[in-house]
Amino acid sequence: MEYQGFRVLLHLRLGIMLTLLAGITYCKHAPASFSELFRRHKYITEAYFQKHETLIDRAFQDFISSELSHVFCGKQNFMPKLSVMQRQLIGEGSHRRLTSSVKIEIQPEVISSLSCEAIVIERLPSGVFADPFELEHLTGRGVFSGASAFGDTDLELPTVRANRSVVEVHVDLSPNSLSGNKNSWELKIEIPLHARYAPLGKHGYTRVEFESPDLFVHCVDEGDTLNQSCIFSSTDEGVRTSPHAIVWEVPSGIVKHTKIVSVLTFIAAVVGALSVFMACIFYSEVSVYNGTKQS
Amino acid sequence: MEVMNFRSLIIFSAFLRVLLIVYGEWQDTHMEVRYTDVDYLVFSDAAALVVDGKSPYKRSTYRYSPLIAFILTPNSFIHRSWGKFLFSASVNAVKDWISVKDQYLRCRLSRSDIDLLVGYFIRTILKLRGVPENLTIYSVLVWLFNPFTFTIGTRGNCEPIICAIILWIIICIMRGNLFQGAVWYGLVVHMRIYPIIYALPIVLTLDPNHFQRGKKPAIVDWNSRQHKLNETSNRLWVFFQSIFTRSRILFGLISATVFFFCTGIFFYLYEWEFLHEALLYHLTRTDPRHNFSIYFYHIYLNYEREFAVLEKLISFLPQLIVQIVLVFRFAQDFPFCFFVQTVAFVAFNKVITAQYFVWFFCLLPLILPWSKMKLKWEGILCVLVWIGAQTHWLFWGYMLEFKGKQVFLQLWAASLLFFAANIYVMITIIRRHTYSPVFKRLVTSRTKKIT
Repeated sequence: MEYQGFRVLLHLRLGIMLTLLAGITYCKHAPASFSELFRRHKYITEAYFQKHETLIDRAFQDFISSELSHVFCGKQNFMPKLSVMQRQLIGEGSHRRLTSSVKIEIQPEVISSLSCEAIVIERLPSGVFADPFELEHLTGRGVFSGASAFGDTDLELPTVRANRSVVEVHVDLSPNSLSGNKNSWELKIEIPLHARYAPLGKHGYTRVEFESPDLFVHCVDEGDTLNQSCIFSSTDEGVRTSPHAIVWEVPSGIVKHTKIVSVLTFIAAVVGALSVFMACIFYSEVSVYNGTKQS
Repeated sequence: MEVMNFRSLIIFSAFLRVLLIVYGEWQDTHMEVRYTDVDYLVFSDAAALVVDGKSPYKRSTYRYSPLIAFILTPNSFIHRSWGKFLFSASVNAVKDWISVKDQYLRCRLSRSDIDLLVGYFIRTILKLRGVPENLTIYSVLVWLFNPFTFTIGTRGNCEPIICAIILWIIICIMRGNLFQGAVWYGLVVHMRIYPIIYALPIVLTLDPNHFQRGKKPAIVDWNSRQHKLNETSNRLWVFFQSIFTRSRILFGLISATVFFFCTGIFFYLYEWEFLHEALLYHLTRTDPRHNFSIYFYHIYLNYEREFAVLEKLISFLPQLIVQIVLVFRFAQDFPFCFFVQTVAFVAFNKVITAQYFVWFFCLLPLILPWSKMKLKWEGILCVLVWIGAQTHWLFWGYMLEFKGKQVFLQLWAASLLFFAANIYVMITIIRRHTYSPVFKRLVTSRTKKIT
């Protein structure tokens, strides 16, 4: 009996140890779902839209938390510090540029063994969109190493008919682009955006507010024979973001104009049609060549 | 006094276009605002998708027949000398020097070739009608050196292709090549819906008194242009009496067959996406975004609710009335009829963009030799009124789109003013036009018996 009790305890402890080992192994190497994600998709957002039809902030945050938990790279544990120093909306009118100054601090000793890229995900508010072809053009010019828009990228729909969209931008972090003290990268990311036709209002303008971007650093350990990749997200500790909200005032139609505009438009069309009608009816009965071409 | 000969005119125009294309390449590379039309990038991307064996409708906002993308595909896989076949030898040297590598550049050069082809067709039509050389040169100048047309062509817009086809249809009808004219007409309506408005004047022109089996139609010479109204009334009565003639039925059947054949092939290849983007979109288009049309603000203010069928019909009524009255008034002078119909169609349309102006600019040179309007000062006044109203609209459009000001009401008022300018210019042109049917009545024994 005692021997059997001892065997049960031994098996229990062995089971617990094996579970712990499995857990450590899971943490040490990239989770299968995470590696799969970057093997199948160039963009994180692409993977989100495979499972969801539209952008819902809560669902997107859950997706990030579940799919992109950070993984330690290489033999040493390290945690880069990601922060958004400044956010600005540059330009006037319907076509502007959203700029974000991003700082990524990292231990200098790990830089040489890793190949990293910064990933910025802008969940655009309703009423604003990015042109995927414009982003492609910027990538072709080398401004980004990759950039695309996901979700509702229809360029022509007004806000009332359109869903939200997401812009994902990748920027290579090479050792050559490190800042002066060689332990951080400072990036200025500029994304061209366009306003949709806003819903009608009373005051003539609609407010569009931008949330903070989601920041990631995606690294591949070049010393790792398996070439595993790992990722750090801005939901980790130590991320600072700019406190000021970015607001875009988009001109919108005024509801009280509806009746007068519709009536006058139709009157104009009818008057125009009648004018042409009268001109045709009273067109000169005989048009005779007078012998010379008038110049 | 001869201004210049036609060949020199074409060569000079070609050089102008090549210079603009070279400048356009520089501006695209060095400046934030691109010279190239956005639509041009759409066409080129669609052509590249076709070369890759994919649907051109994968390119968002490509809303044209796949034919246009197909036409541009040779620039992707044929050597740069593709464009040389369409240009004269002297221009080839310039193109070689420019070193055409980029497929976009090759596309744009081909588009400018079509521009020059339109100029050639205009000359052909005027020569068929016996217009003297000097007047012909002046008229062709109006197309080749119109700032709208050469910038739109060199920015990569596809409208000159449509213009060239429509002018070729006019040439076919004038030469009595009805079969060929019908084939091209079916094709052009498939490519761009708007030429359907020419169906009725073409049918009216295919009068049995003009087109008889085994005989070429006789064209009224420019030197003998005069006409009386009562002949037009008689012809309308004769039309209703004998509406179904051989030439009319054949023209209608052949063009309809070509239209449905092309539509059927592309529906087979690209299914509902093609039907929706290339055809249905244009028939049902109501764009709330600002454009020259007087309807844009009305559409935007009512966009959140569906328009009732009655509202849609009422908004279509002014367009319908104008088209009918123009056709029945001027059909026999069908180049002029095409011109005024196109101006009216654009002016009364629910959406107007700058590229639509090319539709009637290519027809304007065809009517100038018959206009009593003097350039000083009636002609200049028309030009200034039209450009002034457009510039006024563009100012408010700039304030809205590039300065973000809430100026919807002012912009809509500017569109009303531009509409008024279009009506004024159209009525002035009508009043100063010497109505001249294209064809003479062919004398037959039956005609002799009636008279």
